[in-house]
Amino acid sequence: MRWITLLGRTGTVVLMVGLALIVVWAPPPGSPHQSSSSGTMPAGEYKIGHRGVYRPQTGFEISVESTESVRIYLLGLSSGELEDWRTQVREAYPDLDDMWIKIFTMPLIFVREAYPDLDNPEIEDIMDIVWNVSVLDKGLQTHPEIVVWQSPPSRTLSYEFFPADVLAVTVVVANPSSSNATVRTKMRDLAALAPKDRVILPALLLISIGIALAIPWLILRKVKKSTL
Amino acid sequence: MGKGRPFLEVFTCALSEDYWFPILELLVLLCALWTFFTAGIAGVSGSYSDFITVEAFTHNLVYSFTWPLIIMVGIPIVKNIAYGLGSDLEKGIIHTLFSYPLKKGYILTARLLSALVIPLLLFLGISILGLFLFLPDVIRADPGTVALTYAAQLSPVLLTAGLLLLLALRLRRGVPALLSGLTLCFVLFVILDSIADSVAWGIGSDWSLKIYAVITPNLALQEYYVGTLGLSSQTWVPSFSEALLYVSAGYLLVAVVFIIAYVYFKRSLRI
Repeated sequence: MRWITLLGRTGTVVLMVGLALIVVWAPPPGSPHQSSSSGTMPAGEYKIGHRGVYRPQTGFEISVESTESVRIYLLGLSSGELEDWRTQVREAYPDLDDMWIKIFTMPLIFVREAYPDLDNPEIEDIMDIVWNVSVLDKGLQTHPEIVVWQSPPSRTLSYEFFPADVLAVTVVVANPSSSNATVRTKMRDLAALAPKDRVILPALLLISIGIALAIPWLILRKVKKSTL
Repeated sequence: MGKGRPFLEVFTCALSEDYWFPILELLVLLCALWTFFTAGIAGVSGSYSDFITVEAFTHNLVYSFTWPLIIMVGIPIVKNIAYGLGSDLEKGIIHTLFSYPLKKGYILTARLLSALVIPLLLFLGISILGLFLFLPDVIRADPGTVALTYAAQLSPVLLTAGLLLLLALRLRRGVPALLSGLTLCFVLFVILDSIADSVAWGIGSDWSLKIYAVITPNLALQEYYVGTLGLSSQTWVPSFSEALLYVSAGYLLVAVVFIIAYVYFKRSLRI
């Protein structure tokens, strides 16, 4: 009887912790910050749709509408890797302004992968080739590990993203088709207090254990009350 | 019959008396919600950039989200020890418990297990779960600072519990013990804190802070971590080993107070 009481109270306590986890996770992630852009993408080119640093509790939702089939890539680098890439770009293009290097680290690395013979080029020379889908494909072939997610070719799509770790994320929109495409991109920042994948399993586990421990005690309590 | 069963009997009696259903459950829900929300917010907005060292950031983060939780679990500790034990002594319940085949020390331990250890286990369990789930990087990066911050935070709670125990044993009445206990908490954590600060700022000497740091070792730890920021306005910048010494001194004081309380309980209460 004493053990049942002890385990029962432990169960109700564990159940409360599990419920608190569910409550914290339950509020729908969302924030008022939204941005949208619209423009024409030349055939066979890609562009950077968005860049930012995200944590497991901060993410974004991207929605794309296009007149042609486009592909979306989410490319992620840790802060250390990003800094390493910037150093490589500085070494490869010593005359480039640091601002360009910071903004276009990834495309510049891709250009170097696609055109390794290009020696200390001017930014104007690079601009003609940097946004070619073939450059992107070559870059991603060489660095497949940076692709966090990629969409199949599509005219409309929507995707919600929360990284597993702190990640500098670049959203790339590519138009591999042979026609120009009018692409409309919408970005919405998301925030969740609790990372879903970390919270749900422990919450369900705690709730199950709590209920299993509490039920015998609650039944006993009811029986005791009814006999009094 | 071994000692286990009567001990469990005394413990569960104390448990059901200290925490009526569903008071304990509501307290846990409140503590868990607070911890998970604050840890979640810290996870979204936390940044190392304001701090020179990872240790200072970790200490500040753990301290700032655990101290309100300490106040929440401190309320049942004060109520259970001062009022609960005082009332039990007043009504003669403790004397009835002496009829169990248990030494007096075990009876007090069972009572303290319910009044003090349960809230502390809740505090540790909930806050550590919160850290693991919401700020795992903090625990992984610097577990030593997390453990030290917890140790420094718990020392004044245990000291207060020991002093409340002594008060309850001395007064042997629930309401006066509770009122004196609340006054003691106010004196320890508001008045003495202000005096130590005022003296330190007024005369520019650090001795008042050093004395107060034995009662609340977290002060030494905080002064040490604030010291890593290199603020020239600080009156006292202890070294890390000094801060550790204050944490140890705090626990030594706790041990002395509890030993006195146990000896007093055994000697002063007769069947």
